Amino acid sequence: MTDIIIAGVGGQGNILLSRVICQLYTNKGFDVKSAENIGMSQRGGSVVSYIRTGENVGPIIPDNMADILIGLEMCEAARNVNKINKDSIVVLNDRFIRFNSLDFKKNQIVKFFELNFPKLRIVSAYDIAVKLDMPKAENIVMLALVCKDGFLPFSKEEILKALEQVLRPKMYEMNKILVENIYEKY
Amino acid sequence: MKKVLMGNEAVAYSLFINGVNVVVGYPGTPSTEVIETLKNFQDDDFYVEWSTNEKVALEIAAGASLAGARAVATMKQVGLNVAADPLLSLSVVGVEGGLIVFVADDPGPHSSQTEQDTRNFARFCNLPVFDPSSPKEAFELIKPAFEISEKYNLPVLYRMTTRVCHSNQSIEFELKREKRRIKGFEKRPDWVILPALSYKKHVELEKKLQDIKKDLSVYNRVEGKGKIGIITGGVSYFYVKEAIKGFEDLFSILKITVAHPLDDEIVLGFVEDKEVLIFIEELDPVLEEEVKLILFENGKLLPVYGKRNGYVPFAGEFDVDKVRNIFYKILSDEKFLVRNTFVDVLQIPKRQAQLCAGCPHRNSFLIVKYAMKGKDVIFTGDIGCYTLGFAKPISTTDTCLCMGASITMAQGLKIADRSKKVISFIGDSTFFHSGITGLVNSYYNRHNITVCILDNLTTGMTGFQPHPGTGKKIYGEEGRKVSIEDIVKGIGVEKILVIDPYSDFTENVNKVREFLKDEELGVIIFRRECANMGSKESYLKINQNCSNCKGCMQITGCPALKEDENGNIFIDSALCNGCGLCKSFCPYSAIEKVMKDD
Ligand code: SF4
Ligand code: SF4
Repeated sequence: MTDIIIAGVGGQGNILLSRVICQLYTNKGFDVKSAENIGMSQRGGSVVSYIRTGENVGPIIPDNMADILIGLEMCEAARNVNKINKDSIVVLNDRFIRFNSLDFKKNQIVKFFELNFPKLRIVSAYDIAVKLDMPKAENIVMLALVCKDGFLPFSKEEILKALEQVLRPKMYEMNKILVENIYEKY
Repeated sequence: MKKVLMGNEAVAYSLFINGVNVVVGYPGTPSTEVIETLKNFQDDDFYVEWSTNEKVALEIAAGASLAGARAVATMKQVGLNVAADPLLSLSVVGVEGGLIVFVADDPGPHSSQTEQDTRNFARFCNLPVFDPSSPKEAFELIKPAFEISEKYNLPVLYRMTTRVCHSNQSIEFELKREKRRIKGFEKRPDWVILPALSYKKHVELEKKLQDIKKDLSVYNRVEGKGKIGIITGGVSYFYVKEAIKGFEDLFSILKITVAHPLDDEIVLGFVEDKEVLIFIEELDPVLEEEVKLILFENGKLLPVYGKRNGYVPFAGEFDVDKVRNIFYKILSDEKFLVRNTFVDVLQIPKRQAQLCAGCPHRNSFLIVKYAMKGKDVIFTGDIGCYTLGFAKPISTTDTCLCMGASITMAQGLKIADRSKKVISFIGDSTFFHSGITGLVNSYYNRHNITVCILDNLTTGMTGFQPHPGTGKKIYGEEGRKVSIEDIVKGIGVEKILVIDPYSDFTENVNKVREFLKDEELGVIIFRRECANMGSKESYLKINQNCSNCKGCMQITGCPALKEDENGNIFIDSALCNGCGLCKSFCPYSAIEKVMKDD
């Protein structure tokens, strides 16, 4: 059983990413459950998705139980550490979206993760997405990087298949090129 | 075929497979995706539409049902309040083809004004209610819901909660539609509700419920043999399952899928050998109260833990940890379950939702705010993206109650507080939903308020559904366009101003100030399509003239304006929609336009 949490900010494509990961696990024969927030929070607020592959579980991951935290944004990743433990894998997008009333600096948050999580990996998904001229696709960049580095057990071919199942044809073509690029260059 | 489906999608697929003929609704989180999914299906005996509000939707569904069609009306919990009038009458009049009223509740709440419990509504209007725990169950229970509705000629409530509606699960099914013959409408005196008939039908209804109880009890089930009995339903069932993991022997579970009418027999069988009972249900203590009645009537007394004695919270949504803590408290034995808590967590403050970058509503709010600078004004708000006009730094929304109430509350405020100017804000879709009647009242009774209709040519909050003002129907095909101006004029309002919130800010402020000079009923229509719909041609950029005063950011609060690591301001070109608003507030002319292709 694998529990994955994806934390980010509304507009970063959190929900689509969760969809694709669900599809990936389903294609592997797992029974998947996931939960996400939709509506108000998607207007720039905090967005969290939970993905679970166990049977007889509810959609929300209990505290300390997530195996993997995918942080699309630093503050939101930090906000959700109560869901993970020291053994969890943390993949963090090097992205810091400030908001009023926040008095943490980016490096404070990075330090916090470095100190507490031995299995930490920080990636520049946003920078890569911008470089490849698809700034809204940092979620898919993240997915490709996570899989390429072996944090999730899916091959490039499997990713492409899941993307094809979930995305509309035009979007699929664009994202396909993106994924190919990442496997070649990053 | 095995597919990952969201709870709402699962309902949609199942409706289609089970031969639904008519699906109508009004968008509202977390219910919207049922119709959004169904619009991808087509068949010669299948019709789907977005209606102007929930009452309209339910009445259309009722009409279709009387002609023998399988019909569904979809809405969120607060939408059910709007549809309450036809629903209560329908429970007496009855239906012909299966009629499901799909209602999505929102414990938490995540994106609603209230935490309402539709199971309570079911008790109120004496109708059966299904309460599925997972997308899979949501898929499976549609068939019996239609069958019960047809067998007893009654509408059936299908209540789900956010965590069922918006969670995903792999579901195996065959996409094969059941074909049914629609009989057509048959004239019958039954369909005309008159007081005498209503009494007779009420008697019948109470009798029917006794039979329905028996029929539906098969959907409730007992698990385990432990002496501690847990009664639960909906998504809480899974929280319970996980919370007792490793200690299953102590517990047994009564999972209630049909919360009303609740069958006495299964309850009495369950409590037989129990030492205590614990009720785990979100929102209202519906199961708790129903079960306690059954126990009392049958002379059974045992310790009960639930909402009424403070062990289980009334408000908010649950999760495994909350449920586990409730068990801790009840069993007051800390060794009962082991947990390793995480140390040293950073306390990240709450991140406020905001209007999108380039949202035309931001411009409209600020135009009115600046036009009214220094004046004593009350701003009433309404339901939609623009409720966020309340957030800092825009702060131009003082009240928000329910759909359409901006216009009507403004009138009440005006009556009670004559000296103030009252300006209401309402979106286009909300205006059609229930703003029109308020405006009629304001004209008729001479309430001199100003109504700002924020027309972004879509229903933004729920994901860009069309509405009468767009003239497009659900598949994007041509409907007929209803003009907001013509409605306003048709009511009799003479003072109307139409403004493009993206055009010159100062000029707009002057126009609005002029318009608001006298005390007279007036309507300003701010029209510009939602920032997520059009393609953007340009974005703005900050040049070297910038003094880093941050005025633009502080005044507009546009999320595309950001600070870098060194505290210098910049515009995120990926987010900026080129609305030009920030430019109006830069005293150093440091913001300039860049065309997309440059
Ligand atoms: S022009 Fe200014 S206010 Fe408008 S979207 Fe861009 S940064 Fe935001
Ligand atoms: S979705 Fe449209 S209407 Fe809603 S906040 Fe964003 S730009 Fe504004």
